[in-house]
Amino acid sequence: MSAESLGFSPGTPEWIVSIVGLLGVYAVVIFPSVALMSWLERKLIADFQARVGPNRAGPAGFFQPIADLLKLLQKDTRYHWSWREGLWLAVHTMALYSTVAVIPLGSSLIFVNTDMSAFLPFWAALVLALGTMLLGFSQKSVNGWFGGVRVGVQALAGALPALVCMLCAGVRAGSFRWTDLASSQGGLPLGWTAFSNPFQFVAFVVFVASGLVLLSIAPTSGGLSRIDLHGGVSAELSGRRLSLFRLGRFYVFFLWSVIAVVIFLGAWILPGNLAEIISQQIGPFSLAVIELVCVLVKAYALMMGVVWLSRVVPHGRVDQITNFAWRVLSPFSLAALMGAAIWAGWRALL
Amino acid sequence: MSDLNDKPGTSIFSTTKNYLVDILSGFHSACGSFMTALPYLFGKGDLRKEVTEQYPDPISSKTADDLPPRSRGLLFNDIDRCTGCKSCQKICPTDCIQIEVDQRPDSAKVWVSVFDIDFSNCVFCGLCVEVCQPQSITHTRNYERAAYGPKELVASFGRGKITPEQKAKWAAQRERNGEEGIMSP
Repeated sequence: MSAESLGFSPGTPEWIVSIVGLLGVYAVVIFPSVALMSWLERKLIADFQARVGPNRAGPAGFFQPIADLLKLLQKDTRYHWSWREGLWLAVHTMALYSTVAVIPLGSSLIFVNTDMSAFLPFWAALVLALGTMLLGFSQKSVNGWFGGVRVGVQALAGALPALVCMLCAGVRAGSFRWTDLASSQGGLPLGWTAFSNPFQFVAFVVFVASGLVLLSIAPTSGGLSRIDLHGGVSAELSGRRLSLFRLGRFYVFFLWSVIAVVIFLGAWILPGNLAEIISQQIGPFSLAVIELVCVLVKAYALMMGVVWLSRVVPHGRVDQITNFAWRVLSPFSLAALMGAAIWAGWRALL
Repeated sequence: MSDLNDKPGTSIFSTTKNYLVDILSGFHSACGSFMTALPYLFGKGDLRKEVTEQYPDPISSKTADDLPPRSRGLLFNDIDRCTGCKSCQKICPTDCIQIEVDQRPDSAKVWVSVFDIDFSNCVFCGLCVEVCQPQSITHTRNYERAAYGPKELVASFGRGKITPEQKAKWAAQRERNGEEGIMSP
């Protein structure tokens, strides 16, 4: 991203631009997304369950997430600080802030764009899973320990198919650079990687599913099960810790959806030569905003689909989830990779 | 899915077929559940239908007065038939019946001065109605007894306590008539 386009003077040091950029992404994208999505999720679930849902704070309960946050912030903690918890807080906070840099949010809103940049959020997701596991271990309770072990096991089980599916998208684009992955796709759904051929569609479905397993997101939330572990790793969290934990949970979900959108669902590519027209007629800043909205809307839609699914299917036990990941997702991801490779080779020969 | 390789005597083809069929049925089931929830977004699902029922519920009660024939409503004691035998007080599992009796001047019957039923304790088990020999205590058809305090839930059926003068007067009357009081010590 060019610093000048965002209004910095040419001599501004790189680190100031980075810090302002990270804080800006948090303030403009992450926090509003958390609020909006938690409200949408609660309303959606309330609809499914024939309830009303939040309706007191603001119009249709729109400000409920803010009210919840304010409530959580003023609660007293239940137990004292320990070094185990410090470890969790350090890893979690570090992962939360450092991985923002690797989220691609538009052709100009990319902090890191190297040949291997598509793998960076993948490792970020693994670090966040590690942080969640450490959180479980830092709890002095059976629920926390079991939750931590389950989170670790699921992260291992989901990592392989997710990685292989990422390779599928890379095979089609010929690169793992964000801009290459995006520009290999078209602006309309038929031009997206996920719908370009059957193998890529399988890869897309497996990628999303294995991400849910990797990050313990419902319906595959074995490590955070409310039924048999009373919330698992988060069983004893309250107040500010709980708000940080929830932020982290949402953040990984959001991170994964954005990656899925960028590598499979057409990224920020607008139909036709709309991007050039906007850039020339209105300006590059408007183009950045429109591309950001494009990515966010697709990511929100994907997240809503997952929330929808998580409310209509029974949540799996941890052994069922890992079984599913190793015995279904992994073979299908490998088959998709083979198919995608052959397809790409055939296209290259033609 | 769990018993993929566990069944003996299955070929690789049937195992693969079962595996794929399992996945397909799982996918189908998930899609079906996905679509089941769709009408709820537009306020149309089965659970969205209005299910308000008349009070009391006419589905289970088809009688004229809209109550089941053997429904156990609030208790009533016909004090003219009551003999003050205290069977109901003894059998009551929640001890919600309080009875005090005195001798009457003339007859073998007793003067039931206090007969209180505390409906805040009563569980409407109906045992008192079953044991009542003269059938004086009965269930009414009334079931609404809201009140502002527990004391208002006490129903009194007694004839009222008698004063000591009245007691002495009645004792004298009995002696005059030459009756042996049934409760004389």
